[in-house]
Amino acid sequence: MNRVTLRKTIIACAAMAAALLLAIVLMSLLGSEPLPVRASLCALASFGTNACGLTQDQFDILFQIRLPRILLAAAVGGSLATAGAGYQALLRNPLAEPYLLGISNGAAVGTMIALVFFGAIEWTRPILAFSGALLATLAVYRLARGRAGATPERLILAGVIVTTFLSSVIVFVTVLMDATRIRSFTFWLLGDLSGASKTLLPVTIVIAIAGALALTLHARSLNLLMLGERDAFDLGVEVGRVRIVVFLVASLLVGSSVAASGSVGYVGLVVPHLARLSLGSDNRITIPAAALGGALFVIVADTVARTVIAPRELPVGAITALIGAPLFIYLLRRA
Amino acid sequence: MIYYGRSVRARGYYCLSALGLIICLMLVSACTPREAANQGATREITDDLGRRVSIPAKVDRVISLAPNLTEIVFAVGAGDRLVGRTSYCDYPPEAKAIPVVSDTLHPNLERIIALKPQVVLVSTASQLEVFTQQLKGQNIAAFVTDPHDLEGVFRSIDQIGEIVGEKDKANVLVQKLRERTNAVEQAVRDKQPVKVFYQASGEPLYTAGHDSYITDLMRRAGGASVTADVPGAWPKFSNESALAARPEAIILPTGGSMGAANANVAEALRQSPAVLQGRVYKINDDHLSRPGPRLVDGLEEMARALHPDAFGT
Repeated sequence: MNRVTLRKTIIACAAMAAALLLAIVLMSLLGSEPLPVRASLCALASFGTNACGLTQDQFDILFQIRLPRILLAAAVGGSLATAGAGYQALLRNPLAEPYLLGISNGAAVGTMIALVFFGAIEWTRPILAFSGALLATLAVYRLARGRAGATPERLILAGVIVTTFLSSVIVFVTVLMDATRIRSFTFWLLGDLSGASKTLLPVTIVIAIAGALALTLHARSLNLLMLGERDAFDLGVEVGRVRIVVFLVASLLVGSSVAASGSVGYVGLVVPHLARLSLGSDNRITIPAAALGGALFVIVADTVARTVIAPRELPVGAITALIGAPLFIYLLRRA
Repeated sequence: MIYYGRSVRARGYYCLSALGLIICLMLVSACTPREAANQGATREITDDLGRRVSIPAKVDRVISLAPNLTEIVFAVGAGDRLVGRTSYCDYPPEAKAIPVVSDTLHPNLERIIALKPQVVLVSTASQLEVFTQQLKGQNIAAFVTDPHDLEGVFRSIDQIGEIVGEKDKANVLVQKLRERTNAVEQAVRDKQPVKVFYQASGEPLYTAGHDSYITDLMRRAGGASVTADVPGAWPKFSNESALAARPEAIILPTGGSMGAANANVAEALRQSPAVLQGRVYKINDDHLSRPGPRLVDGLEEMARALHPDAFGT
């Protein structure tokens, strides 16, 4: 990495990390229950020691409910945006996105299987979600690869096929399930961060960070791959290995976020696009910037979801789609 | 060869036109409104959507699309007139002998029409605009119930009694249910209302809101729902608001036809006064989630749970 790129990357990422930290603090002051601002800030600054005059309930709301949920939003947003940036670079397709390619649906089917058959065992959810995401990825990739290679159009068509097929699997399973559970499932399918589970939260965060780092380390190869697979090969990129790494890492990212929160759409599409528009299409900047930006985006979207009709709640996926779809149309028209 | 071929072709045309004729006849007969079902004298009864529903003078074929409505039909003594039910309608036990037309959410129109009902009873849980229109096109009356309080449940019983021609039995039933309700209200009248949280489901957290009959039921049982002012009947509720509400008692509808689902208090309520003082009450969800005659059982169970001393237990 040359000096200029390195410096640009560091400055951009430092600025976004600062913005992310600020968002975590500010958004944790907002919620359906009002908290005293000064005492909450003091408690956050002292990392959860309660010497700032918050009541026990306020303290629990801040540290047991709100902060875990915000951290989950960050992990999910970061994961989905990183995965989106990875797919877009590898497949040389600006429309590649976990939700649009059916990969989120693959993870959702995996999670549903885990919920139906191993309901009580939480860790089966991310594992089966990961398997579902990986299988969906491979299916899309196989379907898209014609004699002329995977053209962007073929890829999107393959994505549509896999998405609709897996959607009908999901509908089939929900119809078979008893009525009392259907409502919570439909809520979850639209993306719901309210179930920030204590056991899954650290796993989701670790996977998000590790995944973003892993893809950033392959960013140079991905840059070369954007020239075309043959050119990349000639320039010394181990194309097959990079492809496997990106598929595995992105599936893991999508699987862990879907298992924790359902399908939050458009994050993987909008955020990498914004990153490329503002910072250029060098993956060494795009991928870490997308990771941080995705975290920021979902934190803000979820704050809207949990405050706008408080004490009731909306699924966060509805908000990301409401923001994401028009933004996407705007980006398409501008391009 | 040519001659043979032509004859075969000619026979083919005969067959095709005969088939066409049959199809046309079938279409015509299918599109002509059925007159057999609701003929003759009718009366109008207003349902809970404010629609004036035209009901035949004598009703002897009814389909119920919700477990609470099946229970009401049996309770007013018209179980023998029920010709179809949903897969959830499992009470009283005799109901299980009646053919299933669908589950509550996906009514099977073909099967319903085949059973030739005069009236289909629908609860808003399963109420579908298009579906009721389709029934209307078949001359089948769709009667919708949507009670928002116990009084509304009594009204449903009266209305269904009137529809099936068992007005007197319905009156007697409602009278008995009123007496039991009054007895409960009398017993808890001087008690300090207990702050209650109704956990309709724990993950994600759903509760009973302003428009739910449960909110009225909890008030009558000597409770004060902490979510009484939340808009809607069954809102998805914020975890932190649940924690901040500090309920003194939690009601878990569970253990009935829902099985072991919803048997645990939601994470956000684990430190609530209700849990710390051991005031978490599991009540058979069939008594609470079905706004029919057994809702008064639910009321009694709830009142006994919230105010055991008022009942000398």
